[in-house]
Amino acid sequence: MSDSVVAIEGVEKQYGTAETPVCVLKGVDLQIPRGDFAAVVGASGSGKTTLMNILGCLDRPTRGTYRLEGEDVSRLSDAALSRVRNRRIGFVFQSFNLIAQLTVVENVEVPLFYARVPRRERRRRVEALLEAVGLSHRLHHHPTQLSGGECQRVAVARALVNEPVLLLADEPTGNLDSHNGAEVMKLFHLLHGQGRTIVLVTHNPEIAAALPRVIEMRDGSILRDHAKTTVAAAGGA
Amino acid sequence: MQISALPEVFVLGLSNLRRNMLRSLLTMLGMIFGVGSVIAMLSVGAGARHAILERIGQLGIQNIIVNSVKPPQEKKSQGMEENWIDRYGLTFDDEAMLREVCPTIERVFPVNLVRKPVWFGSSRVDASVLGVTPEHLEMFRLRVGRGRAFTELDAQSDAKVCVVRKSLVRELGVLRDPLGLTLRIGGYSFEVIGVLEDEQFESHTRKALALDDRAHEVYVPYSTSMRTFGIATFVQRAGSEERSVVELDQLIVMAASPDLVYTTARILSAALARAHPRKDYEIVIPLELLEQSEKTQAVFNVVMVLIAAISLVVGGIGIANIMLATITERTREIGVRRALGATRSDITVQFLTETAAIGLIGGIFGCAFGFAVLRILVAFTGWTAIVEPHYFAISLVISAGVAVLSGIYPARRAARLDPITSLRYE
Repeated sequence: MSDSVVAIEGVEKQYGTAETPVCVLKGVDLQIPRGDFAAVVGASGSGKTTLMNILGCLDRPTRGTYRLEGEDVSRLSDAALSRVRNRRIGFVFQSFNLIAQLTVVENVEVPLFYARVPRRERRRRVEALLEAVGLSHRLHHHPTQLSGGECQRVAVARALVNEPVLLLADEPTGNLDSHNGAEVMKLFHLLHGQGRTIVLVTHNPEIAAALPRVIEMRDGSILRDHAKTTVAAAGGA
Repeated sequence: MQISALPEVFVLGLSNLRRNMLRSLLTMLGMIFGVGSVIAMLSVGAGARHAILERIGQLGIQNIIVNSVKPPQEKKSQGMEENWIDRYGLTFDDEAMLREVCPTIERVFPVNLVRKPVWFGSSRVDASVLGVTPEHLEMFRLRVGRGRAFTELDAQSDAKVCVVRKSLVRELGVLRDPLGLTLRIGGYSFEVIGVLEDEQFESHTRKALALDDRAHEVYVPYSTSMRTFGIATFVQRAGSEERSVVELDQLIVMAASPDLVYTTARILSAALARAHPRKDYEIVIPLELLEQSEKTQAVFNVVMVLIAAISLVVGGIGIANIMLATITERTREIGVRRALGATRSDITVQFLTETAAIGLIGGIFGCAFGFAVLRILVAFTGWTAIVEPHYFAISLVISAGVAVLSGIYPARRAARLDPITSLRYE
């Protein structure tokens, strides 16, 4: 499957010392094709956060390989991983993680800054993107002046600004009320509709149910990988 | 990190510093004191060096000054010694002898020094009247402001002319142009032909030249002085009378070159020691005074350097301390930046730029502070201070350097933070 954005084989992750290792991931295999929109669900401690960290190149697997668009990134150096995160992955966090000292525009600019995009070009792209998420009236506000929903939209814009191949969202609606949560989910569905590849961690069964694919984790392995299209096809047959 | 991104990182650093204005200022305080003392140190040091050169250089580093001094009183038997004339000091024979035994002597200038009252009308001022050779004034950098110095011709004709200080004229209450004025010196009339610019000798210099602190100097030709005042002195005090004869009050011996000063002085001292067992002379070597002063100055400089260094080190520790606190405070921001693609060196550069900004701004304030302190110092102590523009450049480089050095450890620590843990840091 060469068109897989993510191809993980036998990934294990251990923490702790060599004598008393704590196994968080126990041999995970996972393929995420381009344009997929998957939810990762599971109880806390099931390893979904660790899986997301590895998918986001924030962490390296102890064993196994991780191919991002066919390139093995499981043994890259710290600096190379930084580059991968910068150019190919977009993060959306539960608590937004906007930098309080920077304005909306500056926050969205951060990934472009580390990608060495010239200032003027940066401004142009950021402003266009913020307009697309409906925040062109908030460009020079600080995050503290925005509502939670607005903050998360800024964060989504920031995740998209470098045109990543993989968008990772860790409970993006966790800190939002239902209305704003629904708005943000609408945005994700819209992005999926545009062909983006999205992996989203959620505790909310309603949100998970609305996604085309649900990956259920338990005790460091994938318990069930459940794609609706397949189900629908099976049902149709 | 590309160089082109540095200005932007710098601006970001500045805005971070502005956000915590008070804290940044407190952090800079150590730098400000450090740089202030560097500026003060350099300027006072340069000023002092200049002053020493000026002060002792005035005596001429090639010169050796030999003064006649009254020997320590021997126990006098009463009665018959009452009328004795006290004869001491250098003699004309000494002068000839010195020239002969010491080939490294270039020239010898005699000085006849008498203390006489100077009268103008009914005003009187005590003066040290120095009978000197025409070269003397120039040798001691005494600049004639008005009129002229005396010449060989004045000396040969025993002209009763004198060169005086402006302050003497002022004290005599003369308001009109002093040139051509006739003063009564020790009962003789002298015409004022020149007025010296009123730069008083420093106390060191006065001491070296055996000048009385309370009297004014009046310069007359040597030959005139010898002819008029002679070598004998009679001083009457209540109940006693002092009679003394000193042939040569002072000899200024000029060595052939500055390298030969110490050699000459040694020969001189040996020759005089044999001729004068009574120790009725003293030898002053300006070069030695200069070197001594420079040694004292060097001690002072070391102290100043230490003070500056300690302040800078303390300032650097303060910066490191605050940066460590800042990094703890901004752990989450660091995590976010790392997740968004910042490499370790990006983070290092970001924090180093911030410390450099602290150092630079602290340095600028420090320059202002140092300059202000210097002004106050100079106003209160009367020291000479020389401020040169490059001191400020040196100070800024030092302060930025110290700041960057003290920022290295915190910045590296920030860069080593694990992105995952820092993202979850509360």
